[in-house]
Amino acid sequence: MRTLRAFLRKEFKQALRDPRMRILLFITPMIQLTLFGLALSTDIKNVDLWAQPDSNDYLLRRIYDRSVESQWFRSASGDHNADPFELVRSGKADAALVSPPGGLSRAVARGAGDLQLLVNSMNVLEAQAVEQYVRNISNAVIEDDLHIKRPEFPISFEVRVLYNPTLETAFFMVPGVMCMLLSITTIILTGMSLTREKEVGTFEMLISAPVSATEVILGKTIPYLVLGIVQIPLVLAVAVFGFGVPMRGSFAVLLVASVAFVCTTVAIGTLISTIASNQQQSTMGGFLFLFPAILLSGLMFPIENMPAPMMWASYVDPLTHYLALLRNIMLKGGEGSFVVKHVLILIGMAVLLILASFRRFRTTLQ
Amino acid sequence: MSFRWSRAAAIAQKEMYHVLRDRFTLTLALGLPVFMVFTFGFAIEFNVKNVPLAVHDADKTQTSRRVIDTFGSSGYFLVDPVVSPAAAQQAIDGDRSRAALVIPGGFQKDLLSGGVAKAQLLLDGSDNSTVGPILGYVASIEAIASRRIADFDPPKPIEIHTRFLFNPELNSRWFVIPGLAVAVLAILAVLLTALTVAREWENGSMELLLSTPAEPLEIIVGKLAPYAVLGLVGLAFVYVISRTVFALPFRGSHVLFVLGGILFLATYLALGLLISVLTRRQQIAMQLAMMAGMIPAFLLSGFIFPIASMPAFFRYLTMVLPARWFMTIARDSYLKGSTLVEMGTAFLALGVLCVIIIAIAARKFKKDLEP
Repeated sequence: MRTLRAFLRKEFKQALRDPRMRILLFITPMIQLTLFGLALSTDIKNVDLWAQPDSNDYLLRRIYDRSVESQWFRSASGDHNADPFELVRSGKADAALVSPPGGLSRAVARGAGDLQLLVNSMNVLEAQAVEQYVRNISNAVIEDDLHIKRPEFPISFEVRVLYNPTLETAFFMVPGVMCMLLSITTIILTGMSLTREKEVGTFEMLISAPVSATEVILGKTIPYLVLGIVQIPLVLAVAVFGFGVPMRGSFAVLLVASVAFVCTTVAIGTLISTIASNQQQSTMGGFLFLFPAILLSGLMFPIENMPAPMMWASYVDPLTHYLALLRNIMLKGGEGSFVVKHVLILIGMAVLLILASFRRFRTTLQ
Repeated sequence: MSFRWSRAAAIAQKEMYHVLRDRFTLTLALGLPVFMVFTFGFAIEFNVKNVPLAVHDADKTQTSRRVIDTFGSSGYFLVDPVVSPAAAQQAIDGDRSRAALVIPGGFQKDLLSGGVAKAQLLLDGSDNSTVGPILGYVASIEAIASRRIADFDPPKPIEIHTRFLFNPELNSRWFVIPGLAVAVLAILAVLLTALTVAREWENGSMELLLSTPAEPLEIIVGKLAPYAVLGLVGLAFVYVISRTVFALPFRGSHVLFVLGGILFLATYLALGLLISVLTRRQQIAMQLAMMAGMIPAFLLSGFIFPIASMPAFFRYLTMVLPARWFMTIARDSYLKGSTLVEMGTAFLALGVLCVIIIAIAARKFKKDLEP
């Protein structure tokens, strides 16, 4: 126990000796969370819209004006006789409204108000949003300018969005970014710290020193475990106080889940380090794990949509379970059976991975 | 002394052996692009389907069943009957459903008496990837159900016909895979360079290299050349897989695409070099490489999140990110078939950033070496 304590002290000192490292470890996660919480949004805005200016076409102008008044669209430059297709192609506009010959107002009077909308659909999400926006605006124009009341469907749904009724983007993004940052720092840094010993040759020294393999692995990994765990309240504070993301569940439960999660990521970092022989290899190995792990976790792309093999892969991905827990505990208050199930899965994964990494580590030591 | 290609080539050769000997890194560096294109290509689908929908039907009439049918047959939802409205909400609480439909008793009666039959639809607001698309579907299901069941088809004074240009089927792969060219280059270039050069400093072999008659500039060119080659091979992999396995169109000029790739690669190699000079320790170099190179390439380049939707400050910030400009070049080359003039801004910006970053890196590198 004494050896372990001495070892830990040395490891902490080594990890935090460099002042730049201290900054990177504690401040960058918070900066990144702030940046991404502010910058990233799935809410499409500022789409450049063009419509052929025609002073006689009252309806088209109303649709166009209302589009620009809403924050969704901006008016795109482009002269009177521009070819709408070319405008979108050249990137001057993202979308263009093309009225039927003779103008939209006359066409509506004739009873055939066909309005064409050209959308640059290179970004699938943007294209879908633009179509939806234009439909909504045209419905509003029909109601307000043509004075035709919006038809009330005899069968209608009263839609309620639970937990995030105003669809705040930060509520969506922040738990995801938290999960991502935590896994990146712990996996990559643990892997690098262990392979560094191999690279500079101090690994042999460790073997010849009077410490057991268990002490070596605990001494090397516990500091990163602690660093990961310390990051959690910091990042959580930014999420809750900076972005107003609700924390409806219990902090203790979240902490238990987080500790289990950090155990799995540190164990993964250790496993990678036993395969790699230098820091470059362990970093590349870490990213090779992280990319699919982040991708399949449901952070940005729905898991329900993935083909079956990918879905199975996402079930064995610790990030999936941790992200689900973060969202469930923070936004929904943590539903009992769900939380228990996923925390148990995470603990199970942690135990398995720790056992595996112990074994691998011992064999590399001998 | 002046720059000599022969000396740079000698260093490049040494470095090449270094890379080739290290099978593990080589496999990872070449495997990463292939792996990424396959996972991204197969896993990403923005057009949400099979959303688990908890349904409670208190009405149990022909009308209510037909409404549930409309949801089921739309292809967007998987219907899962539950015993009570509370159970429907619980299904969402426990993440077993993403949405819940609660049909109250008297639903059919309301419709037959000429009124409005109202059902409640609850959506899970904790998952951004599904809530947006579902909101879009609801309006169309409302219209379809009203037409089918109540024969209600209101006149539409203005009918909008949308033409989706450049990606008419809204194929998620066409959107994501060209962007991967940027992501792959960003990882390979900035990370590998930053780490290799930081390593030379860490174990002192940089001093050794500097004591040889080679000039600093020759050392840089020699050290970076093999990684430039690796990056280009990665780009080629992305291109070949995207065209063969995922059958993406490529409508623009290959020359421009490769030229953009080389400019971007040069910029990121210089960035990697700069990071390694500044940090000289691999762990720190890695973190900085991630902050300055990789995360911007993924999140701020317009890869998934559109730049126009960002707040003004970030819109301007992205202008100094090389990844943003190569993203434009890659996407426009694949899907739009843009010409050099049309992509002029992107090429100009990328060129200027390339020159600036190389100049800073070279200066910093030289200055640090002088005694």
